[in-house]
Amino acid sequence: MFGRLLTPFRQTTGMARWILLTGLLITLAYVVLALFAPWIAPFDFNQRSVDGVKFDKLSAPSGTHWFGVNDQFYDVLSRCIWGARTGLHVVTLSVVFSLVVGVPLGVISGFIGGWLDRVLVFVMDALYAFPSLLLAIVFAFLLRGPLGGGVMAAALSLTVIYIPQYYRVVRNTTVSAREATYVEAARAIGAKNGTIMRRYLFGNVIQSVPVIGTLNAADAMGTLAALGFLGLGIQPNEAAEWGYDLSRALDDPSGVWWTGLYPGMAIVLLITGLTLIGEGLNETINPTLRKRRLRKVVLPPQDVATAMVEENR
Amino acid sequence: MQRKKLLAIGATAVLIGSLAACGGGDSDKGGKSGADGNDWILGTTESVTSMDPAGSYDFGSWNMQYNIFEQLMEIPAGESEPKPQAADCAYDDPKTITCTLEEGHKFSNGNDLTSSDVMFSLERNIKIANPNGSSVLLGQLSNGDEKSPALADGAIETPDDTTVVFHLNQPDTTFLKLLSTATTSIVDEETFPADDLLGDSEVIGSGPYTLAKYTPGEQATLVANDTYKGPHEPSSPKIYVQYLSDPSVLKTAVENGEVDVAWRTLSPTDLNDLEEGGKVDVVKGEGSEFRYWVWQLGTEVGKDQAIRQAVAQLMDREVIAQDAYDGTVTPSYSIVPPGFGGQKDSFEEKYGEPSVDAAKKILDDAGVKTPVDITLGYTPTHYGPNAVDEATELASQLDESGLFKTKTEDAEWEEYQTLYKENAYDLFILGWYPDILDADNYLTPFVRDGGFYANGYSNDKVNSLLDEELAETDTAARDDLIGQIQDIVAEDVPLIPSWNGKNVAVASKKMEGVADTLDPTYIFRFWDTTNTD
Amino acid sequence: MASASGSLPRYIVQRVLMIIPMVWVLITMVFILLRVAPGDPVSAAVGDKLSDEALDARRATLGLDRPILTQYFDYLGSVARFDFGKTISDNQPITDVIKNNGGATLSLTVGAILIALVVGIPLGLLAGRRRDTGTDAVIRVFGIVSYAAPVFWVGLMLRHLVAPTGWPTYEIASPITKFEIEPVTHILIVDTLLAGNTTAFLDVLQHHVMPCVVLGLLLAGVLIRLVRVNVLQTLQDDYVEAARARGIPERYVVRRHAFRNALVPVITVIGLQIALTLGGAVLTEATFSWPGLGGKLIEYLIARDYAGVQGIITFFAIFVVLISLLVDIINALVDPRVRY
Repeated sequence: MFGRLLTPFRQTTGMARWILLTGLLITLAYVVLALFAPWIAPFDFNQRSVDGVKFDKLSAPSGTHWFGVNDQFYDVLSRCIWGARTGLHVVTLSVVFSLVVGVPLGVISGFIGGWLDRVLVFVMDALYAFPSLLLAIVFAFLLRGPLGGGVMAAALSLTVIYIPQYYRVVRNTTVSAREATYVEAARAIGAKNGTIMRRYLFGNVIQSVPVIGTLNAADAMGTLAALGFLGLGIQPNEAAEWGYDLSRALDDPSGVWWTGLYPGMAIVLLITGLTLIGEGLNETINPTLRKRRLRKVVLPPQDVATAMVEENR
Repeated sequence: MQRKKLLAIGATAVLIGSLAACGGGDSDKGGKSGADGNDWILGTTESVTSMDPAGSYDFGSWNMQYNIFEQLMEIPAGESEPKPQAADCAYDDPKTITCTLEEGHKFSNGNDLTSSDVMFSLERNIKIANPNGSSVLLGQLSNGDEKSPALADGAIETPDDTTVVFHLNQPDTTFLKLLSTATTSIVDEETFPADDLLGDSEVIGSGPYTLAKYTPGEQATLVANDTYKGPHEPSSPKIYVQYLSDPSVLKTAVENGEVDVAWRTLSPTDLNDLEEGGKVDVVKGEGSEFRYWVWQLGTEVGKDQAIRQAVAQLMDREVIAQDAYDGTVTPSYSIVPPGFGGQKDSFEEKYGEPSVDAAKKILDDAGVKTPVDITLGYTPTHYGPNAVDEATELASQLDESGLFKTKTEDAEWEEYQTLYKENAYDLFILGWYPDILDADNYLTPFVRDGGFYANGYSNDKVNSLLDEELAETDTAARDDLIGQIQDIVAEDVPLIPSWNGKNVAVASKKMEGVADTLDPTYIFRFWDTTNTD
Repeated sequence: MASASGSLPRYIVQRVLMIIPMVWVLITMVFILLRVAPGDPVSAAVGDKLSDEALDARRATLGLDRPILTQYFDYLGSVARFDFGKTISDNQPITDVIKNNGGATLSLTVGAILIALVVGIPLGLLAGRRRDTGTDAVIRVFGIVSYAAPVFWVGLMLRHLVAPTGWPTYEIASPITKFEIEPVTHILIVDTLLAGNTTAFLDVLQHHVMPCVVLGLLLAGVLIRLVRVNVLQTLQDDYVEAARARGIPERYVVRRHAFRNALVPVITVIGLQIALTLGGAVLTEATFSWPGLGGKLIEYLIARDYAGVQGIITFFAIFVVLISLLVDIINALVDPRVRY
């Protein structure tokens, strides 16, 4: 099963492979930052002073503070690096949670059908049709209380909005796979429902997961930052979160650009990295995007020649 | 790009021109004869809950009501004792007040203002008991029935059209001040429904201004009231109020001259920035906002008086004011803010300068093992984004003393309220604005039997002093009682005062009279403010 | 065409009826969540003023002490009568809130969509046409980055650049414009035109530029990607191949066949992206203090204003469904192959 998860990675070619590689490199860099933040970052994420002397509030980038200091006496560079840890932590949790809930729900719903299927489709469609950020905002507000804010609340509010996406894809694949010959065959030799779902459908369906997974992760990162920006995310003394730092930067006096520029860049680069992975994979998996090399028609040379060259690159 | 920029500048110039023209034109046909100033715009981030006095308990609404309605009494700018407005009121005894209405006051629709309007206004306020309203302040007149609140039988008598007699259900020497707050605004009984709120844009009052136009959350237009008979002279014929959602917008607007006065509430960074810029005046007056840390006496840490005293000894309020609020607030050393009768800086008298040694001695004498584990609580949005900075600052002060090991926890406002009552924090932060300008408003709600936040503190001596103070009509004697209570609080430390807010406005150079109205009442007296342009 | 329109009305009726259960699911969910979540309108407003007893008394006046099912059916009943009630925190009829603030959200989203179309379509076509070249790579990266960059960050950075020039970077209009213009349609920019006030119109237009560009770029990112993929797919369709086989010059094939067909789904895409747009609009509104519905929603959430939150969510839900219905109808009219 693990092998199948990796198949799309092996099949990439050309530009798709470059896109995929770039994305993987960027993401990997963030993973390294996240894992080794305590050793890489010059200061702790909530450190405001050295040897009892406070940092210079809102001071511009300098030798000791490469990215400057923000209005809470925090070192911006350190916050950017520690933020990778928070971001990846929340995003990973939310993707795993929504996979764990969404995929089995989709398989069961698609395979069993009936009223359960109809009700689930209905609820998920309602959730899906609604603006996901608004939904995340509502959930974040309401979950912050019981879960006391922090990483878990953020992850769960993201989970809620991504479950419908996995559910829809998986359910639709299951419905079409249910009637496939190999499933019929399995049923004919007396396989139980549970076995069919586990052994045949699940393995088949799981191939599309890496694409949705990475694209969702990118989206989740953006939503997390948005929640932080609206003050619904993680508090500055719990962990470093880019969105929160940006919300504080919004109130800084004009001319103080370093408190906003760097956390924002950190967000953009990570989302870009994740999206590139997703795009690269998508190009490989989605057959309608593959080039049909064999069916090329040879045309008279003249003015078409240049176009053809481009087409074949 | 270049062309667009020119267009922008051009458009702005035209706008300013049209604004000036519009101001000049209107002042010719101004309402009251004295209103010869120019129009001006007030920008604020406060919002209006309801224009109807029975439906509000917040700055934004009350401030509009002070300008639209009259109350029986009023607190003139910069003073602390009530003076006559629509009536002259005096105590017959600590439970009885008689008011004589001044002749000739009319509502802006022409109806006479009589004693029955006064009774009607208070009666409906208590009866409606709107969840956003302030009927709770009228407890001395209410029947005390929570299911169907109403005016208590015989609480208000109106022997004739110009006389109102109040019979309180317990002695209360602060009642005259209550009669000067917006909750007792006098409304027209022929216009306002007796059991429901009136629509915001339909309100009719007898104050210096009338509400000409109102778009909720956006803006309000006030015009000088022709029929106004009170003690003031509206100096501008027309005043616009622009409601803005964000302090940074308010800052930009006042900086660019889009509003003439920005009042409540700019962030500390913005205020300093504007002050340095010098384009506009940053005007600071005495405030009555109060931020404080409450001990939860239900926890192991909170119930130990020595620990409570040690934190009071360690807390460096100057640094908090400077580093968390950029010096825009004043360190506070008593639960009663400066300027109130009987106020004394009891905490400063008892503890002096912040000192680690003194705090260590307090803990050692009591045999407390250090470092003490302590949990601080704060709420991240309700009191503005700087609350977390204050919590962080206090935590690092405690940690750096070596006597404490702090843990800082937060919860959204909703959950926070439940959590602090459930002993989740040893020490938690809360904020307060007074309802009436009286020292008691900082005492009874805070220290009588655990206060409104139910922190488990109770001291019989304090309770009896509170009873005495409320029934005492002699000012000097009352001030002494109030001083005694503050001393006990500094000794018992059920809460630690942190800072007092100032009443700050930012005004363009052409505005006059702004500084005078910035007092602890937080009433922006539109009638006294002039645009001299 | 005629045969398609025969069943179209029935389809529309079906779709409109579908709104009811969808809205029901959403408001039920929001109703439950709001009640499960800690706090209520009373504690949100005066929790640091009053004792527990006084707070309870206020809850009773709001009817919040009744059994939750009673409250729920009461609420459903009033929604069924199209009575959304008044907000609790500032006592405004929900319909007024939507009327007063909906216009700002509408003009923001429309402006953003226009910018997205102007930027996204040509770039998407170009990238698809020049597949796997440097141009393609640059455009794709631009698309990904403009989608990846949070609107509030782009807004913040643009403000640092633009604010010193005096160009407006907050709000929908200068205060004076708002005082001058009488609301007619409640869409400010339209109202300035109706009033014939050119300075006011220019003022409002200037205020629209920054937020619309910022939100527009986000949408453009999505659009570039989709248009590009569409071009790639149509370039491989059989009729395009056939055109090529007939010896029609490639440039002509691309322009006449591929581009046109690649653009048809754009309507659908915009319709589908309306949800994304509304989400982005909330953030844009927060960044630029735009007086729209998104900002109101957040305000009411903070105040735990049950009626306010439920009202706005219901409105958004209905709006999203209506837009997707509209998209379907347009598709049916434009593309005769679509049958219902």
